Amino acid sequence: MTAITRGAPEGPAILEARELSIGFTLRGRRLAAVRRADLSLRQGETLAIVGESGSGKSVLAKSFLGMLDKNGRVESGSIMFQGQDLARYTSEKEWLAIRGKRIAMIFQDPMTALNPLKTVGEQIREAAALHRGLDRAASRHAVLETLARVGIGESELRYRQYPHEFSGGMRQRAVIAAAVACKPEVLICDEPTTALDVTVQAQILDLIKSLQADLGMSVLFITHDLGVVASVADRVAVMYSGQVIEEGRVDEVFYDPRCPYTWALLASLPQLGVRGEDLYSIKGTPPSAFKTIVGDAFAPRNPGALKVDFEYEPPVFQVSPSHWARTWLLDPRAPAIEAPETVRRLRERMKRRESGASAASGGGGLA
Amino acid sequence: MGSYILKRLGQSLVTVVIVVVSVFMLLRLMPNSGYFTREDYVNMDQAARTAYLRNLGVLDNPFVQLAHFAGGLMKGDLGRSISLYPRSPVSSIIAEKAPYSLCFGLASIIISMSLGLGLGVLMARHKDGFADWMGTLYVTVVRAIPSLIWLFFIQLWISGLMGWPMIFYLDRPVSWILPTISFSLAGLGWYAIWLRRFMVDEENRDYVKFATSKGLPRTRVMRGHILRNAMVVLVQYFPQQILLTIAGSLLIESLYNIPGMGGLLVSAVRQQDNPIVQTIVLLYAVLGVLGVFLGDLLMAFVDPRIKLADCSGKGA
Ligand SMILES: Nc1ncnc2c1ncn2[C@@H]1O[C@H](COP(=O)(O)OP(=O)(O)OP(=O)(O)O)[C@@H](O)[C@H]1O
Ligand SMILES: [Mg+2]
Repeated sequence: MTAITRGAPEGPAILEARELSIGFTLRGRRLAAVRRADLSLRQGETLAIVGESGSGKSVLAKSFLGMLDKNGRVESGSIMFQGQDLARYTSEKEWLAIRGKRIAMIFQDPMTALNPLKTVGEQIREAAALHRGLDRAASRHAVLETLARVGIGESELRYRQYPHEFSGGMRQRAVIAAAVACKPEVLICDEPTTALDVTVQAQILDLIKSLQADLGMSVLFITHDLGVVASVADRVAVMYSGQVIEEGRVDEVFYDPRCPYTWALLASLPQLGVRGEDLYSIKGTPPSAFKTIVGDAFAPRNPGALKVDFEYEPPVFQVSPSHWARTWLLDPRAPAIEAPETVRRLRERMKRRESGASAASGGGGLA
Repeated sequence: MGSYILKRLGQSLVTVVIVVVSVFMLLRLMPNSGYFTREDYVNMDQAARTAYLRNLGVLDNPFVQLAHFAGGLMKGDLGRSISLYPRSPVSSIIAEKAPYSLCFGLASIIISMSLGLGLGVLMARHKDGFADWMGTLYVTVVRAIPSLIWLFFIQLWISGLMGWPMIFYLDRPVSWILPTISFSLAGLGWYAIWLRRFMVDEENRDYVKFATSKGLPRTRVMRGHILRNAMVVLVQYFPQQILLTIAGSLLIESLYNIPGMGGLLVSAVRQQDNPIVQTIVLLYAVLGVLGVFLGDLLMAFVDPRIKLADCSGKGA
């Protein structure tokens, strides 16, 4: 059991989105899925992206691979990766130098991510052979090694099997093997454990962590589960309505959250519920992505919203060198509004949990 | 695998028997006058007619006739033609006709399959683009307009335009072109539209996204994943298509006067030549059932998820 305050690398950013806007055209109307989002993934770290369904997490991640659906495009902003602006890439040829080779991605559902009609080994090999320029025998050998590395035993046999002969957890391992076979610099995981049961989840998270350490990858980890964030991430970015509203070290965002939306998100954590108290849930629904948002996107759902929240979009305020947030509450002129009681007590509760009946708290919690 | 195949063969046999027996019995409901040519009918008196019919065996109880037919079948005897080629053995008539249907069938399979699958790939690759639009237009036209109309159109208009003969002559290869084209058009559309459809289905699957995210070029994803998987779905219908094509076409063979089996069936039915009708129906039923059966086997062979009962599979 690790405390949340692990040393986060403060290295340079390897992948950085600046003021990134992504829109889709749907039946002639424009939908803003990502709105001037800022995000920076640093060398060697794990950055978690959290936020409710539809907040644009997957769209943001897919834009880093040039894999937006046909009706979507990056409208403005930049995606800086090792000195290049991926947002300007237009041709497939440019993307092929990045995709799978330097930035790899694994998806939520391991049951459907593999081609049911090709052997698992072949599906890992085709990428490895392509990117590493290996011939059939050499790439096959590399795949067998990778399979063993991700914990798939009897790799000779498994190589020749089809996805339906694998269990869910094993398939996700195979998917991970395919993603890391070319030793990418960045690994994007889009809810990689959501479809798996709890014990398998933990194994997959451990596997990702150990691969990251081995290969020195930077990991961008999308999840709904704040417990998972606490267990894998160094830093966390909170998304709301297509915008990153708060980013910082996990301990900073969890113990000293500044945005009302982050408060609400934390307050609704089932792990923080107190016996006898109703679990907090966020009222209302996020604004329609078809409409132009004026002011703070969360204001309509925020009972304590300021007047300015409805008029002007909050800029980025730096809370500490490693922690920033977009909320008018950080403006010097704002009234002093405190986080709700539950959230303020988060730290003590976590402490109690960690020191006290740590074993009894069970899996899936803030580990 | 063995037991599965036996079971399927049994089912197929039952299907064939039902089809053949039904047609056999229906033929026996036809008026007896149909067995005579017009002159014969007029020239014969009642006694002579009865003698003739008795001689043909058509006055017996239909079940006795059926037993007789089945018995002959066991010995490889398909009976003799009544009116079309009086007294000739049906087997030799079929042997003479089949090669025409077979040749046109094979030629049209090659053309419709290669062009149709090619068009399908093109349509899927450029979905909603020009090729897709043209292809869809073509398929819609071929399907929506009754085939008789465009077949006539091709026969009359294009033969006039090109100065080609309007019917088939064995010794004039140029007269083979239009029937071959006519044979191929519908199949071409069939292959194109289904391949396109299955490819578009596959295109939206998660494994395609993952394959793309691995960095495979689009052409390789298309070829190695989408096309491959779509073909696996399509392949089970191939045997059926192929067998039914080589069995000949009623319409086209009649239109172009091709001495093949399709044309033969039409005239045999018209002249109530029972042994020929029975044989061709039997042949078509066997080919149809065999097509479905082979399709299933082929499917099991190319799709690793399908295991036929105790088939040891390709895991090893
Ligand atoms: N191809 C598309 N066409 C139109 N809108 C799209 C398309 N893809 C995504 N969107 C929209 O973009 C928004 C963000 O979607 P996204 O999938 O990124 O959400 P998410 O944060 O990943 O949600 P979840 O947690 O459910 O995965 C949603 O409103 C979605 O409807
Ligand atoms: Mg998502």
